[in-house]
Amino acid sequence: MHTVIAAGLLSPNVGLIVWITITFLLLLLVLRRFAWGPISKALAEREARIEESITSAERALEEARKVQADNEKARRESEQEAQRILREARETAEKLRTEEVEKTREQIRQMQAQAEAEIEREKQGALNELRSEVADLAIRAAEKILGENLDGGRQKKLVNDFLEDLPSN
Amino acid sequence: MTRMRADRHGSQLKSNMSEVAKTLCFAVLLAYGLPLNAAASEGDDEQLDAVHHVADGNYLDFSPLGKVQLPRIMLVRTEEGSKDVDFFGSTYSAVASGRYHLVSEETAVDAGEEPGESVHLESESESEDVEAAGHDEGVLMPVRGELILDLSITRHLVFAWLGALLVIVIFVTLARRYQRGVGRETAPKGLFHNMFETLFMFVRDEIARPNLGDKTERFLPFLSTAFFFILFCNLLGLVPFGATATANISVTAVLAAFTFVITQVSANKDHWAHLFGPPGTPLPVRFILFPVEFLGLFTKPIALAIRLFANMTAGHLVILSLIGLIFTFNGLFGPAGGYGISPVSIAFSLGIYLLELLVATIQAYIFTMLSALFIGMAVEDHGHDHEEEHHTESLPESAAARLAVDGGTETTRVEAEPAMAS
Repeated sequence: MHTVIAAGLLSPNVGLIVWITITFLLLLLVLRRFAWGPISKALAEREARIEESITSAERALEEARKVQADNEKARRESEQEAQRILREARETAEKLRTEEVEKTREQIRQMQAQAEAEIEREKQGALNELRSEVADLAIRAAEKILGENLDGGRQKKLVNDFLEDLPSN
Repeated sequence: MTRMRADRHGSQLKSNMSEVAKTLCFAVLLAYGLPLNAAASEGDDEQLDAVHHVADGNYLDFSPLGKVQLPRIMLVRTEEGSKDVDFFGSTYSAVASGRYHLVSEETAVDAGEEPGESVHLESESESEDVEAAGHDEGVLMPVRGELILDLSITRHLVFAWLGALLVIVIFVTLARRYQRGVGRETAPKGLFHNMFETLFMFVRDEIARPNLGDKTERFLPFLSTAFFFILFCNLLGLVPFGATATANISVTAVLAAFTFVITQVSANKDHWAHLFGPPGTPLPVRFILFPVEFLGLFTKPIALAIRLFANMTAGHLVILSLIGLIFTFNGLFGPAGGYGISPVSIAFSLGIYLLELLVATIQAYIFTMLSALFIGMAVEDHGHDHEEEHHTESLPESAAARLAVDGGTETTRVEAEPAMAS
């Protein structure tokens, strides 16, 4: 009895084998035509699409990075340019200012020198005048004191000798 | 536990030794290891025969609501020698027609073994016996003429069709969705779509691609068909009133035969050259290797068939045996024993049931995985340098190691099989 049952489990059923072969073959054909084919194709398509999207996104990102880098570079360059212009302007202004000051100072110096020369000349003139005035005054005073007139030539010689003895200035 | 049982029935074992020799060793262990059979013969009232539950039959079992007999299709050779096909709505109507009668399986087997000897006369009384059991037992034989082929629709066939139908409905629907653009141009939407896409992608990326490489597209239809057909058949067996088509050796044999045929048909010349030993093998060694390699061609699909069949059968037998414990205890210790053991039985069978869910998936995976591996080995074009050879040689081992990890929970159940697998 037991072995018969076991044989029932184990003995192949030829009819069933025929049926299952047909069933599985049909299942395989139907699924390959209507299921696995379209599904595989759709999945491959989707994978390709995703792949492509990722690649193009990466490319876009790369491009954006490049543009950004370019922008950054341009900005930095223009900033440097501005700095440079500013610096140059400042330098020019400084130079101009220095030149102006220098010129003014030169003018002042010249004017000063002129003025000093003028003063010197005036002083010299005044001194000479004063000297002749003093000589005259002295002669006159001496005439009065002596009461007598010396001849002009002697007088003058006397005064000059006297003046020579005086320390100059 | 199985072994202890076998010991206790030792005397019976010896007396039946001649029949035992006819069947495979582990099948005997299955049949004798069942406490249920003891219960069935001891208790008169309660009958729960686990093996019958798992075995095929020409009826759908909706007990306790009843059984529905399935159509019988008999291909016979009449006494005049012409071939004829008989179609009956049920076993009952076949017997009622008077042209067929039921004989017990032993008689049928004997008749098959000794052709020419008439069994019809002596089987009359038995025929009545079997008919008393409700036309669900026994083998239908023509009264006159000779049976060529019994093409009757069986329980397992119905559930195999149901499984196939489910696979078709689900994946054709899924394919329609893709064709509408969902999942192709947009992200997949919904539980249904995501779940089955994930499973399909699993078969493609985890099973087919690692073994087949750039030849994946060619074998993917077969591998995914096998995976989902087996998976659905396995799972249908866990549904109430269901039956496991994959717990039938004929079904798994057909599936394995498909793998075998596809492997051999698509094999390249490297595969055939390998049959005589790897390149560079000395001639005397080739003489030894050839039978081994030749046998290997057949043991691979046979192991595939038996692995799936034994795993699916064993799980159901264990569940039914645990339930059967209630009846056994009822018979041995009266109703108190029956009620007492039922919480234990139910808790254990629930555990096994959950394990079965796991095994159903794992076995579908293993079958497909090994099919992919065998096909992959046959179609692989390898260069003939030594490193390449070593690589291909180590491939089956790594796969075996992987299987050992995956199937770790059920090592005891696959124990009967290594002899075949190696």
